[in-house]
Amino acid sequence: MSQFPTISSDPPRSYPQLVAVYGFLPNLFRAQSALPRAVEAEHQLIDAVVVRQGRLSRDQKGALLKGVASVRDNDYCRALFGHALPAVPDCNSALFDFSLKLAKHGPWVSKHDVVTLKNSGFDETGILEAVVTTGIGHMLCTLADGLNPRLDAELRSPAPGELLNIPEPLSWPEIPEAHLGLPPDSATGSPAYAVLREQYGFVPNLYQVQSALPALLGAEVRLLEAVLFSEDGLSRLQKECILLTISAANLNTYCTTLQSQVLNILGIPPEESGRIVEDHRTGSISETDQALLDECRKLASLPRGASKRFEPERLRAQGFAEPRIIEAVVVAGLANLLNTLQAGVRAVPDFPPGRVFGPKDLYPFSGKSRPISDAIPSEDPDAAIVARVQKGDIDVFEELVRRHSRRVFGALAGLVGNIDDARDATQEVFLKAFENIGRFQGRSKFSTWLISIAINTGTELLRQRKPSESLAEMEDDEGFRPRQVQKWEDNPEQMCSASEVNDLVREAVLRLPEKYRVAVLLRDINQLSTEEAAAALDLSIPALKARVLRGRLMLRESLAPHFIRTEKPDA
Amino acid sequence: MLSCVEFLAEFGDYIDEAASPDLRAHLEEHLHECKTCQVIVDSTRKTIQIVTESGCFTLPAHAVDSIVSEVMSRIRHKAT
Repeated sequence: MSQFPTISSDPPRSYPQLVAVYGFLPNLFRAQSALPRAVEAEHQLIDAVVVRQGRLSRDQKGALLKGVASVRDNDYCRALFGHALPAVPDCNSALFDFSLKLAKHGPWVSKHDVVTLKNSGFDETGILEAVVTTGIGHMLCTLADGLNPRLDAELRSPAPGELLNIPEPLSWPEIPEAHLGLPPDSATGSPAYAVLREQYGFVPNLYQVQSALPALLGAEVRLLEAVLFSEDGLSRLQKECILLTISAANLNTYCTTLQSQVLNILGIPPEESGRIVEDHRTGSISETDQALLDECRKLASLPRGASKRFEPERLRAQGFAEPRIIEAVVVAGLANLLNTLQAGVRAVPDFPPGRVFGPKDLYPFSGKSRPISDAIPSEDPDAAIVARVQKGDIDVFEELVRRHSRRVFGALAGLVGNIDDARDATQEVFLKAFENIGRFQGRSKFSTWLISIAINTGTELLRQRKPSESLAEMEDDEGFRPRQVQKWEDNPEQMCSASEVNDLVREAVLRLPEKYRVAVLLRDINQLSTEEAAAALDLSIPALKARVLRGRLMLRESLAPHFIRTEKPDA
Repeated sequence: MLSCVEFLAEFGDYIDEAASPDLRAHLEEHLHECKTCQVIVDSTRKTIQIVTESGCFTLPAHAVDSIVSEVMSRIRHKAT
């Protein structure tokens, strides 16, 4: 049912309740049977937030969960959520859009997004329910990513993932502003607050913001007790380090600050926490714990797309027993839940942050650029040279320029449309890469990282152009349908000279809307794999495929008049 | 059987030869019956071939040397 055996002979008490929710006991929870308290706490949270009728209906919350599973491209959870709520709910589009943005682009969620939701008729309690539901979606998807449960016999394989329209975020919320007001502090004497005070010495703002929903707060604290505060598997220190690593990967300033404070109490000095935040492999932690953090970091909710899969066998090789590995996955799920909560409610920091994340952490060269993806580990033919450059051997960088200048130029020429600009920009790309090569951590191929820089550089160049110089693009995708349906010649490229074909292709590519142009450039001209192109553009694989297909169809439409078969007149 | 709209939404993996056996069977069932989609598949394949082989955004070989030279010169200048 999973790559993890069912271990406990003492089934969690919540199994009957889970059966009541789903009609059977999903493998996702069976796979955690070694941690019965965690399963019970997860069920209590699901019950408090999703099952109970609140400001949002159960159908609305089910729609949000399914949206998160689609964002995460998680087939198990799409099937599970679809089974629990098979009807297609009529979900308010503002609510759904907010949740999708929170799920995919959490750090970009701003007060403006919350105000938009309020203007659509949702009060703060309803918004909080939407935020927590989205967080639970992330938590369950993280569990499914890490535990890899087999699809239950009761579940139907989900249909191919629908393409969600999630706009790329335009601006990072520069001024952190609480999204929700602090409710009257009615929970002061509650058991949940008592636990939080005992553990933290105070009640963090992230929990105070939620005190208007005591059942939710109580369930969250029980989850903390079951997963984080208990110390019968992984140590508290290990678990807090997982939380810190994932919070940093998710660019969550608040949670990173809180985790660093907790680690300080546990004896880890701030400078060591700071090293873990920047790159957990540079700290003074053991090789075993580095492997633990390496694997857990893969479960972070940001970035996603073509991220490498969690590898339990690596942890087994380091001596971690099955319950510890399962616990690590559960802690990662908790981290993504808390990070999503904070991204949605934006609680005011309890301490001055030691590290404030910003857009440059996504892409170090521009405040407006799209996130860089550094998330495809594989054999990288450039790795040895990159390592030498990072150690100060400047001269070998020349080999990297020589290897990749054609590919970088190709992407830029197709994007900006002007050979001279593309040549200058190619140089800029390599200079930026050299200046920032110390930050390249090898979690993607160097070539993919370089192409990300090229795309961002080219996009910036387009933005700087005056409107009069902008490219005359084809109509966008809305309503696009293939119109040319006549047969083409068998060898269309032979109908005109090579230079004429080049001119036709260049003109057709440059007329494509930018998002399709870039996708086609990377796949068909730069010959990147689907996974590499998705990573370079920080798109999910289905989203990349959809753009490539639409771009190819638009190109086909442009080229068709030149290559369709002309019927020969009868003799 | 798939409609043309469904076919056009799904045939990307088919032309990249990455479709699952199930999806492939569904698409081919539709293709067998639909002349219009046959034309679209054939011409999209030819489009990809033309674009891939066109070399319209290729950097001339001699330009590689000048880019390498300029980039390394600027890097070394900064380093000193």
